[in-house]
Amino acid sequence: MLTVVLQQGINGIVFGSLYVLVALGLTLIYGVLVQINFAHADVVTIGAFAAYFFTFAFGGNYLISIGIALMAGAALGWLVNAAIFAPLRERGNELLPLIATIGVSILLQNAMLLWFGPIPYAFDSPYSNKVIRLWGGTFITLQNLIIVVVSALTIALLYAFMKFTFMGKALRAVSQDRETAGLMGVNPNQLIMLTFVIASALAGMGGAMLGPILVLTPFAGTTVIVKAFAIVIIGGFGNVEGTIIAGLVVGLIESYTTQFVNPGLTDIVVFTLLLLMLALRPTGLIAEKREENV
Amino acid sequence: MRKHSAILFGVAASVALFAAANAAQAQDKVIRIGGLFAMSGPGSYFGVQDKQGIELAIEQLNKTGVNGYRFEVQYEDSACSPLPATQAAKRLLEQYKPDVVLGEECSDATLAIMPLMEQAKVPLLNAGSSSIKVTDPGNPWTFRIMPNEVMQGVDIATNAYKRLNARTAVLLYENTNAGIGNAKVFGDTFKSLGGQILADIGFGRDVNDFTAIATRIAGLGKVDVIPTYTLEGQGLRITQALAQAGVTKGGGGQSIQLGTIWLPFGFEQKAGKAALGYVRIVQFDPTDKRDVVQNFIRSFKAKYNQEPTHINAHAFDQILVVADVIRRGGKDSQSIRDIMATTKDFSGVTGSVEFDKTNQNTKMDTIHYMETLPDLSWKALGWN
Repeated sequence: MLTVVLQQGINGIVFGSLYVLVALGLTLIYGVLVQINFAHADVVTIGAFAAYFFTFAFGGNYLISIGIALMAGAALGWLVNAAIFAPLRERGNELLPLIATIGVSILLQNAMLLWFGPIPYAFDSPYSNKVIRLWGGTFITLQNLIIVVVSALTIALLYAFMKFTFMGKALRAVSQDRETAGLMGVNPNQLIMLTFVIASALAGMGGAMLGPILVLTPFAGTTVIVKAFAIVIIGGFGNVEGTIIAGLVVGLIESYTTQFVNPGLTDIVVFTLLLLMLALRPTGLIAEKREENV
Repeated sequence: MRKHSAILFGVAASVALFAAANAAQAQDKVIRIGGLFAMSGPGSYFGVQDKQGIELAIEQLNKTGVNGYRFEVQYEDSACSPLPATQAAKRLLEQYKPDVVLGEECSDATLAIMPLMEQAKVPLLNAGSSSIKVTDPGNPWTFRIMPNEVMQGVDIATNAYKRLNARTAVLLYENTNAGIGNAKVFGDTFKSLGGQILADIGFGRDVNDFTAIATRIAGLGKVDVIPTYTLEGQGLRITQALAQAGVTKGGGGQSIQLGTIWLPFGFEQKAGKAALGYVRIVQFDPTDKRDVVQNFIRSFKAKYNQEPTHINAHAFDQILVVADVIRRGGKDSQSIRDIMATTKDFSGVTGSVEFDKTNQNTKMDTIHYMETLPDLSWKALGWN
């Protein structure tokens, strides 16, 4: 039994790490713009396809494909913000960019359906079937180990960027008070663009690592994004630390619910937790003033 | 003389008009077929392959026509899900006014559109939904050419117990009408034979990571067979997760995964070595020597430059069944329904068709068992 408990703990941390990568992008955008980005799921999917085609169509290395997916996500984030969201924000109506994210999501899904077709792709990384045996009969695949390590490094780098670099501090300043930050010489529009680029890069990278786990179709990202939204709310909208903790907690809850309750009830358990958080602690796991979240 | 000429002119004009009207009528003798298939969402691989089979059959039949009729088809995206299927069926019935409708693949979607077809008195010919409810109780306007979940489940469970000597099983299934129904029939039959169900695991279509489920199964001890009822995408991930956890033969374990008609050909290549030893049923055996099968394979390869799957095959057969009905005098929805109900000894690519009083095909030769070999090819087991 101890083996099973440990194994489910490992499984939960692996999937929780992926949830964190996806949810962090959402929370960054919300923290800076107070906007929900419904197209985030599709950036995840595009990241997965970018990694897939780099690996299988061009014979590239899977590890490099994670970087390719990161760049594809970043480029898409820049493009979509520059072409659609930024002009809409300038009109001063907060609802327009929100609705536009839904439009962008539908557009991207249908474009992928047209290009890649609906039949699921078998995206096997060369590390998916390499099993590392751990203590007491537990194991982790090399692919899952890569997921945990890359996620941990990315989260650490992002944390350091936000805390210690000028750009990171400027980003936090914009999230606290966009107008005052502008008066201090910070260009809010550039930093909003930077937020979109970082968030989409994280989503693209998450897609590359989710690809070998997800059922890769043009709708793949949507299966993760609902959970990511829940994590963002449980962690506290716009709160990076809360999102990290919530992502790992949700991953572990799913694993242990599968083991000890019923796999069909994992969503019920996670979303009951979400409702409880909203009712009892609406500020999320780590309560801070919203202005200081990012 | 002038009066005589006028009469002659009038007669000639009438004949010409009559001939023209007849010609136009001959050209207009069309059987309008509605296609309700998933073109989007996780089941959209069904729609793509159904369309290929249908287009090929119609192209062949329209070269000469059948009983003076040619065939037209219009598709609507029913998305393998009840609500979009209902909306698509309404659009199809109101705007296209089909004589007969083909579809859906997913049982939940088929069950949702059946009452609409009955209300509109348009026959629905199904080839991919396994839920028993489609034909039992069903309705007089719905026909099914594939074996239902009871026919499949009893057969698989019996073969698992008697031919594979399985005594323990874990049920894995998506939480849909078809998934729950198929798993229940397998479980009931297996237990009645003396087998034991160690775990009964249902999950939603949004589950991505099956590592946790595979871990749970690995902790159950000796599991002989794992009947699995999912769409292709989740099926792939389950097979890989079970192998990674060392449960199935593909991962060095002893368990044999059992699958159903839901998975298309090519599944083994996508799943890789994890699929080793997988035993599943398909509706179409390409090694079948019958002319209808070999001609279908040749023409399919010529048109699409790829090997046909069983989904292509059963869609092709749906059109052949409709054509057979038209050949026997069907011309509108009512007559198509009435004549289709009398179908006997029809021989198609997937097998034979003969409907019982519930409009369920009673023939079992549409079930073909296959096993995945180490080189990821498969062999027909010839159990039916």
